[in-house]
Amino acid sequence: MKIYVCIKQVPDVNAPLQIKDGELIQDADRNILNAYDASAVEESLVLKEAHGIEIEVVLIGPEKAKETLRKALAMGADKGTHIISDELVNPDSFVYAQLLAAFFKDKEYDFIFCGKQAQDTDAGLTGSMLAEFLNLPYATNAVGLSLDGSTLTVKRQGDAGQEIIELPSPGLVTCSNDMNEPRIPNLKGIMQSKRKPVDMISAADLGIDITEEQIKTRVLSFEEKPAREAGKKYEGEPDEIARKVAQLLDTKENVI
Amino acid sequence: MDEKFDCIIVGAGVAGLAAAMTLARNNMKFLLIEKGEFPGSKNVSGGVLWGSDLAKLVPNYWEEDGGWDRFINHRRLTFMDDQSAFSVDFKSSHFNEPPYTGVVVLRSKFDRWLADKVQEAIDESDYAMDSFIAPNILVEEVLMENGKATGIRTGDEKFYADSVIIAEGVNNLLTRQVGLQNKYVPADHILTGIKEIIRFDQEVLENRFQLRGKSGMSNEFVGFATDGVEGGGFLYTNQDTLSLGLVLGLKDLREKGKEPYEILNTFKKHPVIADAIHGGEVVEYSAHVVSSGDKRVMPEKLYLPGLLVCGEAANLLMNAGKAIQGMDYAIRSGIIAAEAIINAKKAEDFGETSMKKYQDSLNDSYVMKDINNFQDAVHLLHDPVMTQKMPNLICDFGRNFFSIKNEPTQKARKMFGKSVKKHSSYLELMKLGWKGSRAL
Amino acid sequence: MSTLLTFISVTDGKIKRSSLEVLSRCNELAAEHGLKSAALIISDKASEASEEVKAYGPDEIYTIEDPIFKNHINAPLLKALSSAIEQVKPQLVAFASTESSKDILGALAANRNAPALADVSEFELTDNGVKAKRPVMASKIISAVEAKGSPVLLTVRSGSYDVAESSSDASVEAISFSFDDADLKATLKEIIGAAGDKIDLSEAQTVIAAGRGVKDEEGLKMIDELASVLNAGIGASRALTESGVYDPSLQIGQTGKVVSPQLYIGIGISGAIQHVAGMINSKVIVAINKDPDAPIFEIADYGIVGDLYKVLPPFIEELKKVKNN
Ligand SMILES: Cc1cc2nc3c(=O)[nH]c(=O)nc-3n(C[C@H](O)[C@H](O)[C@H](O)COP(=O)(O)OP(=O)(O)OC[C@H]3O[C@@H](n4cnc5c(N)ncnc54)[C@H](O)[C@@H]3O)c2cc1C
Ligand SMILES: Cc1cc2nc3c(=O)[nH]c(=O)nc-3n(C[C@H](O)[C@H](O)[C@H](O)COP(=O)(O)OP(=O)(O)OC[C@H]3O[C@@H](n4cnc5c(N)ncnc54)[C@H](O)[C@@H]3O)c2cc1C
Ligand SMILES: Nc1ncnc2c1ncn2[C@@H]1O[C@H](COP(=O)(O)O)[C@@H](O)[C@H]1O
Repeated sequence: MKIYVCIKQVPDVNAPLQIKDGELIQDADRNILNAYDASAVEESLVLKEAHGIEIEVVLIGPEKAKETLRKALAMGADKGTHIISDELVNPDSFVYAQLLAAFFKDKEYDFIFCGKQAQDTDAGLTGSMLAEFLNLPYATNAVGLSLDGSTLTVKRQGDAGQEIIELPSPGLVTCSNDMNEPRIPNLKGIMQSKRKPVDMISAADLGIDITEEQIKTRVLSFEEKPAREAGKKYEGEPDEIARKVAQLLDTKENVI
Repeated sequence: MDEKFDCIIVGAGVAGLAAAMTLARNNMKFLLIEKGEFPGSKNVSGGVLWGSDLAKLVPNYWEEDGGWDRFINHRRLTFMDDQSAFSVDFKSSHFNEPPYTGVVVLRSKFDRWLADKVQEAIDESDYAMDSFIAPNILVEEVLMENGKATGIRTGDEKFYADSVIIAEGVNNLLTRQVGLQNKYVPADHILTGIKEIIRFDQEVLENRFQLRGKSGMSNEFVGFATDGVEGGGFLYTNQDTLSLGLVLGLKDLREKGKEPYEILNTFKKHPVIADAIHGGEVVEYSAHVVSSGDKRVMPEKLYLPGLLVCGEAANLLMNAGKAIQGMDYAIRSGIIAAEAIINAKKAEDFGETSMKKYQDSLNDSYVMKDINNFQDAVHLLHDPVMTQKMPNLICDFGRNFFSIKNEPTQKARKMFGKSVKKHSSYLELMKLGWKGSRAL
Repeated sequence: MSTLLTFISVTDGKIKRSSLEVLSRCNELAAEHGLKSAALIISDKASEASEEVKAYGPDEIYTIEDPIFKNHINAPLLKALSSAIEQVKPQLVAFASTESSKDILGALAANRNAPALADVSEFELTDNGVKAKRPVMASKIISAVEAKGSPVLLTVRSGSYDVAESSSDASVEAISFSFDDADLKATLKEIIGAAGDKIDLSEAQTVIAAGRGVKDEEGLKMIDELASVLNAGIGASRALTESGVYDPSLQIGQTGKVVSPQLYIGIGISGAIQHVAGMINSKVIVAINKDPDAPIFEIADYGIVGDLYKVLPPFIEELKKVKNN
């Protein structure tokens, strides 16, 4: 059995950032493995441990993103493919899904795992786009998985509650970070990751040529969020401050 | 893969990275372990890296973008009272050419850049697949067998090597674990450093501090800056930010019941600082322990069979008023440590005498020579006369000297005498002068 | 005349208020640009719901009614949306942002070769598409984005627009639809922890959110009591959904739900950016935390510094008094 996990390198949202003339300036060095993808990798490794599955990670990103690929290998994935994306200026989820679809076209697999969204943009589109391109049944926002034979049982967080879905192979799942705590690679893992095979290919190798004009959605500029001023802090006797605030919510704010 | 390494280095700060670079260039098989998420992630210092040893590790480093923002060509030492500031100011175009005498680095970026350089060196070495930089791993123990270091333990994993270099920085738990730092370090030998990064529009910053291109300024402060607590203040210009901070005596802080951030806030309200930082936005705040540079707390011995200690783990740091030197000492000691390991490997001898050569070389280097020669200056900086009375006296004198009042003006000497009487005494001043001349 | 199509979410026969917010916005845009605003209802009880939707002023209503839509299943929903788009040929299809709409947005975009924008907080029409704003970087900043093509597909955050009632005599047109069960590859086996008649968090006027500071039964009881006094929805930080204290559907934040109530009360929550991402648009924010430096105080209008176990009893008591007057 084989599972592919699509992983993305994203800027760390906790790192300081700045907006200058509508451009976002971030510390180029603070890039991490998307937390939702880390959960997808973790989940695949749990299945691997129980069922002996081969795990391959796929990443589209610039040369520098290889450290993120290494991280997934250090966690325990068996091999990786790095689709170098330097020439793509501002790809959106659609472009990534197209590239991934081209990559998977002639591959054999049982399941593809994605993160439910990228932590920086929260788009949450690539996974189901890819499923549609590949004509695969899929489930998004998985919070739990189990494998029985070649059928994956997915617990997904839906609007009405948790939906239990049976997904036959081949299929695609997007993972929430609520389903597990991704492991931190240990030293052996880090050392082994260096020897694990990584294929490097380009968008051109996939027979895909995407021009700026074809990109359907793009970011025009970034803006500060209208600042929310800190209000008043009430310190002191709990009884007093609690009552005081309760009254203000009624008399001043009128929200009770 | 499970075979032994030539060396395991604990800590990818400047000392560990300098050692690793030296090992990689000399075809050694090693493991460099860092507990932070990436090299530099735990380092707040970001300050001035003095001297030109960096060029030894990466020749022509200034041609790259490695997290240094500016090269220092303008230095200022300021004495403060609550209202005024009296500065000694020196600017020179001699400082403007490579190899620069001081480069302002932001550690989170710089350490990462240097780690990338080390990785490049590894890739070019015979051990491209066998030497590693491993972040996010905490070394919990140095493994010892019959008095010789044999490797390290992290969690339940153990890794073995002919030698271990401890480059763990100021919180030297492993140095203690192996018994080299066995002295009790009293609180008055520990300082705490706090720092804010304040962001400006780059043009505003450059105009305000008369910076051109990559030139930069460093300013040290004595007196009111620390609100009566022993220690000093500093200000460095980065690309579009200022680093503003204080180094404060822990014991004195406790005794006076003061909090570092309160003192920093008061410092920021001082007219001189307020003018320097106005319009800026604080984007980062950090705090860290610093060693005092007092030799009395240094481990006497920096080696054991198969083991060396370098950088601030060995308390190699000096703050004698005109600058904090820690990173340059870390680099030099890291290089010397690695060289000792390389020689030991050649001789296949990691025993006591072989390891001792590290400390001998260190003693012969500028690091220990300066630390030995300037001990008195270190003590002077923690003398209350120096941190309180002197700055007050100097500022008092300055205020009188520079005031023009349409009244008969006193001779400067007389003015000075008055200031001395008000804040101190000639006797105290003579003592200080005596100490000072001996110290410097 | 081109159409702006709003998808109306209906669960258990109940219309989601946030989809009426989106419809109101589309009505407004349609009037501005001389376009038609239409509502699309895909449900097992679509015709029932269509009567109700008339009160919110669409020019036309399209329905697809089939028992298969009783529960959310992505394959038939996709097929239904696809046929509706083929028939109506809208220039925009707008959804309220829900787990169900997010489930199909990407697939629909791929299917229609159309641009998609998820979770926008504002949107505007342009000559060849849409301009919109989206919070990014865990909602620390806003990005202005543009989508070119037709139809533009987008999901809109709840609370982004007000609902405007305006009755219309919209015609209701049923779109024919059939789905062969044999095409269902993924099958829905069961729904657990169904919300039932609990208050829907994303639509609640008052939200009480509990965090790691709430440590035991006693704490949870106080949360329940506070919620019942204020008739509030209960939400939680990830700390408490992860540990299983609350159902994951109650998580507020980047991974969980976005809420924008009149009143949010965060109890024992530190205010990590990922949590704040889901509640920053609340009108009044109250925080109870014993750590005066907790980041949540940087955005709280009323910050009560204190132990929640000491603060909540008098707080609840006082609110009861206020309520009874
Ligand atoms: C506020 C402040 C301002 C300063 N300003 C200056 C200045 O302007 N100029 C200057 O030269 N110096 C300055 N210093 C001093 C300078 O930062 C230090 O002397 C220097 O960083 C020492 O380098 P090092 O490599 O020995 O230790 P560090 O840089 O501290 O590196 C040690 C590394 O080891 C890692 N580590 C520790 N324990 C373990 C373990 N068990 N397992 C794995 N990894 C571990 C740590 O995470 C860290 O990355 C300043 C210090 C402070 C606090
Ligand atoms: C990609 C990603 C997505 C995430 N998405 C979400 C999300 O959607 N929602 C979410 O909530 N989190 C999310 N998180 C997690 C988030 O970063 C925080 O870890 C989480 O919000 C912390 O929950 P907390 O505030 O309850 O716990 P803590 O951060 O542990 O805070 C507990 C607080 O309770 C206070 N406290 C303790 N005892 C008392 C007492 N007796 N009285 C008063 N106060 C007390 C403490 O002072 C503290 O401030 C996400 C993280 C990642 C990486
Ligand atoms: N550049 C990429 N390389 C590999 N996988 C990606 C990439 N971009 C997105 N994905 C996958 O798609 C998921 C959702 O991304 P997004 O649509 O950008 O929110 C991610 O969590 C990944 O699993």
